[in-house]
Amino acid sequence: MMKKKISLILVAIFCMVFAFAGCGSNTANKKGTITVAAAASLKNCMDDQLIPAFNKKYPNIKVQTSYDSSGKLQTQIEQGADIDVFFSAAMKQMTALKDKGLLADNSVVQLLENKIVLVVPANNPKGLTAFTDIVKADKIAIGDPKSVPAGQYAQEALTNLKLWDQVSAKASLGSNVTEVLTWVAEGSADAGVVYKTDAASNSKVKVVAEAPADSVSKVIYPVGIVKASKNQDAAKAFEDYLKTDEALKIFESYGFTANK
Amino acid sequence: MDLSPIIISMRTASAAIALTFMLGLFVARWIVKLKSEKIKMILDGILTLPLVLPPTVMGFFLLIIFGVNRPIGRFLLDFMGVKIVFSWVATVIAAVVISFPFMYRSARGAFEQVDQNLVMAARTLGMSENKIFWKVVMPLALPGVVAGAILAFARGLGEFGATAMIAGNIANKTRTLPLAIYAEVAAGDMQAAAFYVIIVLSISFVIVVSTNYFTIRERKYIK
Amino acid sequence: MGLLVDIKKKLKGFTLYIAFETAGEYLGVLGASGCGKSMTLKCIAGVETPDEGQIVLNGKVLFDSKRKINLKPQERNVGYMIQNYALFPHMTVEENIGTGLACSKKEKIQKIGEMIESFHLQGLEKKYPNQLSGGQQQRVALARSIVYKPDVLLLDEPFSALDSHLKDKLQTEILELLNLYKGEVLIVTHDRDEAYRLCKNLVIIDNGRIVMEGNTKDIFLQPGIIAAARLTGCKNISRCEVLSSKNVRAVDWNITFETEEPVPENIKYVGIRAHDFRMINADEAKNEINTVKCDIAKIVEDVFEYNVHLKNGMLYKVKKQEWDNRKDQMNLYLKIPKDDILLLE
Repeated sequence: MMKKKISLILVAIFCMVFAFAGCGSNTANKKGTITVAAAASLKNCMDDQLIPAFNKKYPNIKVQTSYDSSGKLQTQIEQGADIDVFFSAAMKQMTALKDKGLLADNSVVQLLENKIVLVVPANNPKGLTAFTDIVKADKIAIGDPKSVPAGQYAQEALTNLKLWDQVSAKASLGSNVTEVLTWVAEGSADAGVVYKTDAASNSKVKVVAEAPADSVSKVIYPVGIVKASKNQDAAKAFEDYLKTDEALKIFESYGFTANK
Repeated sequence: MDLSPIIISMRTASAAIALTFMLGLFVARWIVKLKSEKIKMILDGILTLPLVLPPTVMGFFLLIIFGVNRPIGRFLLDFMGVKIVFSWVATVIAAVVISFPFMYRSARGAFEQVDQNLVMAARTLGMSENKIFWKVVMPLALPGVVAGAILAFARGLGEFGATAMIAGNIANKTRTLPLAIYAEVAAGDMQAAAFYVIIVLSISFVIVVSTNYFTIRERKYIK
Repeated sequence: MGLLVDIKKKLKGFTLYIAFETAGEYLGVLGASGCGKSMTLKCIAGVETPDEGQIVLNGKVLFDSKRKINLKPQERNVGYMIQNYALFPHMTVEENIGTGLACSKKEKIQKIGEMIESFHLQGLEKKYPNQLSGGQQQRVALARSIVYKPDVLLLDEPFSALDSHLKDKLQTEILELLNLYKGEVLIVTHDRDEAYRLCKNLVIIDNGRIVMEGNTKDIFLQPGIIAAARLTGCKNISRCEVLSSKNVRAVDWNITFETEEPVPENIKYVGIRAHDFRMINADEAKNEINTVKCDIAKIVEDVFEYNVHLKNGMLYKVKKQEWDNRKDQMNLYLKIPKDDILLLE
């Protein structure tokens, strides 16, 4: 009976600790913790190299991350989520937040440039060779233009190439670019449009071609600080670090280019 | 307002419940008839798994089975020209797998609740096992079976995680109501999302109420 | 022809070892709860299987462990009615009765109609079981079991579910209705009145074995063993010592009895039925044998009789009028006729 009581108490304590551990992240008042909401296409780069490098310089600032489509992240920030830094995959979402007055003044930096590419599964079942060959595929995967920047760019490019109607009729719309990539990697889709940086990160997909330069506007990745952030200093330190040569070198190694 | 998600969801849920209902019923009957308690327990555990696992885990397994780079998916593609993933059929498969445990458990519970004395009496009266199942057990288990079917239908209608993984989000083909709602919320279009949500609520409400009415009527003779 | 049962089955706590034969008369199976009598019926019906043995009905082998024959219940053509009838709640009276019939629709309607008439169920054809009274349910259950002319009718505690004031009436009715059935009848009961009324022959089961069998009336008169005495309702049983060939001493009551016949060696108990005493006055008692002083411990009043509990533990049941008419209740003696002394093993 005694043993049972003790183990019950231990379990209860364990549960409480577990529950409260989650609470810690809500209090951004704690000096040195920031939450960075970034586009899905930035995940590999930031988790694997960038944030560890940042922490070497700033060991006291803890960086928590949330990766998803920029559209969803924008919605979350609008709804009041505790986010300090927003790193979007397109200007659209950043501008929307700025217009609503949700960003700290003058904190927006148009940091990186990416390219969108047509990818196919490693064995290229439909034998595509050019970006415009996308219409030859039966199952196509692109990001949902309504919420995924990669999808917006895809729509823009395809519209300019007069292929949008054909493609959208058979396209599966992903809720973020990683989902799109996985669909192509698994072979469920014969072709898809993702960022050049995504294609590099997955060995199961092959890049066929970049979108023609004149068909799509520059893919700009801006970063900005959320006005409601309770850790403006730490957020600023992070944003500043992103502008350094060291950071840019890391980004370039993943296929991004610095925005000139 | 794009009505295609409603049509696709209704078609998917209807096809799914038809399959789930038959599958759940026959598997439940088979399990109840098994003699070994140990085997019953293990099989029951496996069949109930989709209930407790996150749908994304089920989606994972379905992908392993039907993905074109996987053995079975490859076979289907090469020898039968059939690609399950990203097709409407995939939405049905996902819904069936996810909703099956509801049907199975409800049906099994309902069968086991039937007074065994009645089954025994039926045997001595000369009724064949089949006749006993359809004329004695099923009518008495019906309320439980129907309740299971309602749950299964609702679960199939609301299936999202596994569906996204193997059926994709193709307008007019595989974009079910849950996927449409998710996409609209992601895009910030709460109004469009609300429209779909109300549709789902209304359909579910009507089904639940009308089926309750049906089963209560049926029970008038069992006190 | 008839029914031959010879089975052995291991149960919780004891082994069932039953062997008997019937030949046309109603056979009662009397025993305490849990003695295995219902299990015996279940084995005959085929819903349970004995470990070994054989069951043969009118020459047809239903079960034979040596020859590995074990017919399914559906193949045995038995009629089996259990205590709470197991009527199908979702079927009407008509439909219930028809469940055991396997013939053309026309024939079915005709046979069901006959049953409805014979069992006085007119007007109830379309009713559901929960709309019927206990007696009506019983008649429907019986009709259902008889309509397809089974080779044997097994009734498991047929009257247990009924109110006591109905039992009397229904037992007589049922006897009449059973006359419509021409086959073997086995009635399992723990109620001695039922056994006495309905069954010409009796087997008594105690702890899984048959301890007594034969003509019902004979058994009641001379139970022969203590289990049979108890089950046939004997209220006064005492351990006894055999003093001489015609003398026994009831140890628990401290009375010596003189018997009519010589006492067999293996007698261990003496029994007196509660109704078998005669009241005599003190004077008469001086000249009589087999008497006991009526030292009253308490009197419990029933509707029509008094239960006079004596200080020595014996019980005397007497009609109220008879007792009230005596003036000498405080100085009474009770005499036991020699024939009424039960010598029990």
